[in-house]
Amino acid sequence: MRAVLWSAFILIPCFVLANEDLPSKAASFFESHCYECHAGDEEFIEGDVNLETATFDWSALETSDFWTRVYEVVHTSDMPPRDADSFPSADEREDLLSWIGAELTQHAPIGGTLPRRLNKVEYENTIRTLFDDPEFSVPPSFPSDEYEEGFDNVASGLNLSPPLLAQYLEIATTVVDEVLPEPVKLAEAESQSYRVPPKELATAEGAGAALAENAYRLVSSRNMASAAGWTTLFEAPVSGIYHVRLDARIFQTGNMFYKERESPFRLEVYARQNSEQKYDLFENIRKLGAFDVPASEDQASSHELEAELYLGEVLGFRWADGPIFSDPGRREVSHDFIDDRLLNDRSFYAAAIKLNGGKRGSTQIEFYEAIRDLMEGGKLDLSDPQLENRPEIYGGGLSNGPHNWSKAYAQEEMHRFGPGLDILGVSIEGPYKVIPDQLTRQRLARSKAFLGPRPDGIDDIEFAEQILRRFLPEAFRRPVTDDQLDEYLEVVRTHLEEFPEKRVEEGLHLAIRRALISPRFLFRGFKPGKLDDWDLASRLSYFLTSGPPDDRLLALAELGVLSDKSVLESEVQRLLAKPERNEFVRHFTGQWLSTRKLKDVMPDPRLLRFLPRDRETMIEETERFFEEILIENHPLDTFIDPGFSYRNQFLNAIYESEVSGREMRRIALPKGGKEGGLLGLASIMMATANGVDTHPVHRGVWLLENVLGMPTPSPPPEVPAVAPDTSGTTTMREQMLAHQADPTCARCHKKIDPLGFIMENFDPVGRWREHYPVYTEEAAAPLKEEFYSSDSEATRLGRRIDASATMPDGTVLKDVTDLKAYILDNMDLFAECLTEKLMIYATGRSLTFGDKRVARELAKDLLDSQGGFQDLIIAVVLSDSFFTR
Amino acid sequence: MKHRMNRRRFLNGLGFSLALPMLESFKTPIALAASASASGQAKRLVCIGTYLGFHQAHFFPRQTGKSYKLPYVLESLDQFRNQFSIFSGLDHRGRNGHEGWKAWMSGYASGSVSMDQLVAAHVGGRTRYASLQVTCGSPPDDARVSYTKEGLALPMVGRPSVLYQILFRSDSDKSRIEYVLKGNASVLDGVLEEAKSIQRQVSKRDQRKLDEYLTSLREVEKRLQKQEAWLEIPYPKSDYELPQFDPISPEQALECETIMYDLMALALTTDSTRVLTFMVPGWSQVFEIEGKRLSTGYHGLSHHGNEAKKIAEYNLVGREHVKRFGRFLEKLTAYRDAHGQSLLDSTIIVYGSGMGDSNTHDNSNLPTLVAGGGLQHGHHWAHDGASANPRLLGDLYISLMQRLGLDIGRFAGATNNLNEWIS
Repeated sequence: MRAVLWSAFILIPCFVLANEDLPSKAASFFESHCYECHAGDEEFIEGDVNLETATFDWSALETSDFWTRVYEVVHTSDMPPRDADSFPSADEREDLLSWIGAELTQHAPIGGTLPRRLNKVEYENTIRTLFDDPEFSVPPSFPSDEYEEGFDNVASGLNLSPPLLAQYLEIATTVVDEVLPEPVKLAEAESQSYRVPPKELATAEGAGAALAENAYRLVSSRNMASAAGWTTLFEAPVSGIYHVRLDARIFQTGNMFYKERESPFRLEVYARQNSEQKYDLFENIRKLGAFDVPASEDQASSHELEAELYLGEVLGFRWADGPIFSDPGRREVSHDFIDDRLLNDRSFYAAAIKLNGGKRGSTQIEFYEAIRDLMEGGKLDLSDPQLENRPEIYGGGLSNGPHNWSKAYAQEEMHRFGPGLDILGVSIEGPYKVIPDQLTRQRLARSKAFLGPRPDGIDDIEFAEQILRRFLPEAFRRPVTDDQLDEYLEVVRTHLEEFPEKRVEEGLHLAIRRALISPRFLFRGFKPGKLDDWDLASRLSYFLTSGPPDDRLLALAELGVLSDKSVLESEVQRLLAKPERNEFVRHFTGQWLSTRKLKDVMPDPRLLRFLPRDRETMIEETERFFEEILIENHPLDTFIDPGFSYRNQFLNAIYESEVSGREMRRIALPKGGKEGGLLGLASIMMATANGVDTHPVHRGVWLLENVLGMPTPSPPPEVPAVAPDTSGTTTMREQMLAHQADPTCARCHKKIDPLGFIMENFDPVGRWREHYPVYTEEAAAPLKEEFYSSDSEATRLGRRIDASATMPDGTVLKDVTDLKAYILDNMDLFAECLTEKLMIYATGRSLTFGDKRVARELAKDLLDSQGGFQDLIIAVVLSDSFFTR
Repeated sequence: MKHRMNRRRFLNGLGFSLALPMLESFKTPIALAASASASGQAKRLVCIGTYLGFHQAHFFPRQTGKSYKLPYVLESLDQFRNQFSIFSGLDHRGRNGHEGWKAWMSGYASGSVSMDQLVAAHVGGRTRYASLQVTCGSPPDDARVSYTKEGLALPMVGRPSVLYQILFRSDSDKSRIEYVLKGNASVLDGVLEEAKSIQRQVSKRDQRKLDEYLTSLREVEKRLQKQEAWLEIPYPKSDYELPQFDPISPEQALECETIMYDLMALALTTDSTRVLTFMVPGWSQVFEIEGKRLSTGYHGLSHHGNEAKKIAEYNLVGREHVKRFGRFLEKLTAYRDAHGQSLLDSTIIVYGSGMGDSNTHDNSNLPTLVAGGGLQHGHHWAHDGASANPRLLGDLYISLMQRLGLDIGRFAGATNNLNEWIS
């Protein structure tokens, strides 16, 4: 924004008479202290700020931005700069500021949000609500939103481009198809026979499974689609009723590890769409039937079923009750059978420990053969006491410990010796009857719900009117006039006249898809000034739920009581108690605390082994932390020094904690310590680094922008990026001394750098460190498992970190605990910062001078009354800024 | 089940407009060119990339210049030796990993316009489809390689039956499309009136926002009109026989690849499009090649850990890809256009991968082969990254785009060209 600000001056017409408007004190202030750099020949004007020719044309947007900036730099004494010849006295400053302040208060009032397009999230939630389709989401090719002031819901950033509008039209057609589908024409299809030989079956995983001769052998009963054998060439050509027959036989030999079984083997038959659900749990996949395959070995048995298959579905066959299984609802292999083998087959266990996972990248078959060689080699020490230990390590590939070794070995062994369940062949015949497919049936049901019952005796147009009368106000989020209703009804009427063979549904399809690309749907807030109840309902709802107003809000708007402050307050509380408030938690923290950036940060593997789930957990910690402060209405200092957080075992490596279990739980943290809060959350530390190194300037800028409310302008274009010197010979501090030497740089960097230095104790993934790491030569070699830890040989301890810093006001801080105390002593800064962020997010605009005044007052009042975070949100909603467009 | 844009829409004739990419300069069909061939410029571009790469040591010849020995993976292309060139040592100096792969055609991390779309903007107005993007089945990791100038990733058609429909749509589809297009035209008219009436009532500042809306509306209307005009031109006919089932499961990927090449050749011979991009995918499927079942999945083979046996199997898959590519070249060579020129001579084909060393996910030294286009071929050009004037893969792309008639001097971080190698 700043760049636009400076360059905007070229556009302001140069009215010489403008400066006659200046009161004499202001004029002499500028002449004495500013004109040297900010007047005269255009060529020599500093920073493109020309005070001599600046105007007070308040109809131009840039004018209030300009004078706001002048106010700010004089207010913070950034101007005149340190190397100026003369400085204004405190009185002179006061006079100037009160004059500019009065002008701004009068002319740059509260308000000014432009018509605000629904952003991607809001659009999705709105469509979901409007069409009662909780699974709707935009296609992957849908463009992302632009950010402004750090948020993607600010009106001036939400532009509309031709490809976006084309997508809206496309989506409108598809969405309305779901509730107003074409008349169903069942295709004619003749029944055909299909034979599926064993070699046309495959598991979705397809890794190294050996095929038995003339059979497809199932050995795994894991609760995951990939454990079943699926047809690869057969997929149902049309939705219908089919007859499936299969031949199966169990496979057991005398050389099995597992005891021979006399009870039948359970075989289950499933169906899924080709190339979908490949790794789903079986309870989420459509089950067609189940059979008991008798255990009499030499005899194949035949089994038949009749089932509905939908267009494009493939069939899958699963052995449901074998020894390799997972717990219901879980994919990880259950421990019982693993322990069974490890504790009862010492020879295997000894071989497995000796082999230790085998060569990296070896296949399951190679692993099996290597184990067998060891077992048959006769050189194992079966009295090794280690064999008494219950193995703990599990998860991941072959290199990951006894559990996986056991499973891999068992599968290969079962392929060769049993037990296994062989599918000998499958025959499919059909369709005997063509049926509407799932999608069609779903649509017919939704269409019925959408249209509602059609009263007797009314004609098509009357029926259409009934539906539009209900739908249009919902879509446009306010009542529609009779004229507007007629316009849409005319669409239906004209369509039915032009195409008499079409039904009223087709006419409505047209009308509704038009509504979905109307500006009244895509945008909110056309009326300037004080919001009416309808706009208030929308603004409140999208603020706290990223979705359209619900029935109760609409009812209150209808009654005209929504702008009543006590009604509004209870609505805020009601909305924050709904599950939809998670949208606010997720999107506000994702942007304010920058956790959305985490998906693009790739931690250097030399730091630690980092999985996607660790990233998700960090984000969840942040969201739950924020949510508690919100729901429990904690005071604002909780953000800085909370005394708690939410963790699970996945973050133990980051925080050096010992939390157990996958469930997130609330844990207590020492107050006044280095852990917890905005200056301790690993997610923020990671988002403010690049995955490989930290950079004090980035973190300093982030803290100024998001915690202290003192955003800094971008550096001048000529400044090169400083790359951290990781050879450790120059400290970051030494490298950044250049900032202090040049007054132009020091202006901002005296605020940025100290904050950055203090945060250097947090490494690029948020771990606390006392020394910088130095990477050894070993780290350059291909990565091995051993490097995933900080006490490996990959790194050694480098220079000790000096996190001390001196703030611009002279306060000396030794580390982050001091910084927390400093901020707690200056809570007004944080409170104002947070209030402003909330207001930008809520109102969708850059805050004007008037808005910032409001923010300051709200923050002060909150701190004085010792209110909590929810009180702050209520205050924001009740403010003039919120009430003004 | 999510109601995303899925292939079922195509089969029901509703998702047609997804296959019609959103491009700026979309000339009317009346301006169809019969004329453009005179200058000897190439007219078409085909880009084919394998997601799991090739083994560099067996893709790049050991010798440079003209008399190099054809490496193992490329052996089946022997008969076309003088119609292609190999380029080694080129890359984008970009990100590693599968993320970097997405930048194969655009040079930066995904999101910048890709070369095929720049070319499509230039030549696309003459054909029904400015460009088509093809793959086999559903691509892994949502891999995308074609990006519009707005940074939108273009979806790919993964089912042969759908690509067939796009090229040879039946008349019953035509009337349905016409119906939807007409409906959309009237919908756009309607909201135009709404927007104008709102604009009359709002402040000056607000009017600017509505201007955005109205400009977009007009653009979309124009595109709709072009689409309607194209409807009048009959679709070509074909007697190509598709198999009974779409071979889209990963185990069938090689069969799917064969069919997609056939359909791509038909797309070119019917002049349905002049820009094609084919992303040849790979998952963990275990292939059976020449009766032999490989020891592990394709992705596992690409992480061979420098083991000879795995490399050998990885190369077997590579050879299968190249064989199919060779068949594609055959088809293009056999077809002569209205001017007697072989389709291969007027089509520039880029064949390779956005993955350099699949084992380490390093994306330097990208396998790159260029065929056709009437260029001088038969060479292995080895670029030395340590030379005084290093070039990027983008420089090659610039040269190719210039041969296609684009006036372009910078692309993907490159500001030079390789015209001395492409002649």
